[in-house]
Amino acid sequence: MGLKRFAVVALALLAGCATPPPPEPGSAASKVLATGPIENVAIGPMRMARENGFLTVSAQLSNTDTHNRTLYYRYLWMGPEGFPVAEVDTWKSLTLYAGQTSFVPAIAPVPQAVDFRLEINTP
Amino acid sequence: MFLRVSFLTLAALLIGGCAENRSPVLGSGNISYGDPKAVELVTNEFGSTDLQMIAESMTRSLAQSGVLKGRPVVQVYDVMNKTSEYIDTREITTSIKTQLMRSGTARFASDNTDMQSQVDHLKLQNQSGLYKKSTVAKTGNMIAARYRLEGSISSIIKRSNDYKDVFYKFSLQLVDVESGLAEWMDEKEIRKTTER
Repeated sequence: MGLKRFAVVALALLAGCATPPPPEPGSAASKVLATGPIENVAIGPMRMARENGFLTVSAQLSNTDTHNRTLYYRYLWMGPEGFPVAEVDTWKSLTLYAGQTSFVPAIAPVPQAVDFRLEINTP
Repeated sequence: MFLRVSFLTLAALLIGGCAENRSPVLGSGNISYGDPKAVELVTNEFGSTDLQMIAESMTRSLAQSGVLKGRPVVQVYDVMNKTSEYIDTREITTSIKTQLMRSGTARFASDNTDMQSQVDHLKLQNQSGLYKKSTVAKTGNMIAARYRLEGSISSIIKRSNDYKDVFYKFSLQLVDVESGLAEWMDEKEIRKTTER
């Protein structure tokens, strides 16, 4: 009986230790590179389109806090092989008012870009 | 005695080996390399982040607009500095030129600063008699620009006892030289506030 209880507790602990599954390829979460825990900022849907040969992206970010928050972000642009095809963008500062939802648009610097990553830093 | 000397020599060698600098850095102190793309908030005057953001925003807007079809020749004019600060606006246009060139959307004719050296070089090749005739660049073949890129940067500065607010507005337009029509225009606004 004691051994069974121990086994149940051990299994529960192991389940707690297990790392969360990686985000599904192509999902919004799979496009985000966080440089730390993203606190009080929710990442919503991302729109990707090609206009005049250049990839354009728009990501929805929401402040879930009751205070204004400043975050830093930049886009990285990837080619068909999954490697960067341009120099990294400049880090940009974004202020989100309490409860505000904002869209962060970007245009790829070169026509070769077919995918992107959104790097976010919340200080 | 011999044993003691051997031991001391070995110890010195070991200490010397450990003290060897394994880092590829010369010198020490407070100098370090930083991220050139970092958000620079040292003061609220015009800074590297402003320059980079303006160049990035303008270049991508222009490249994606679809106006630059067939890699037209563009001549870049100086950006007028209407702010009260010294800003090297030539660096903004150089960044815009470089990024447009990398995107493969435009070619650039010699602008007003390059023109004199271009003319001097053509004259040197054609008039000095120093060069083999078959290799000399012929005069009258320079490509005229189809578009002119020009802009301005202005600022509004407000101060109170507690705040200093600086608002920059950078405007850029692409003008068709033949028709005089502005084919593309965009602007970038930047606000920087210092709380004392």
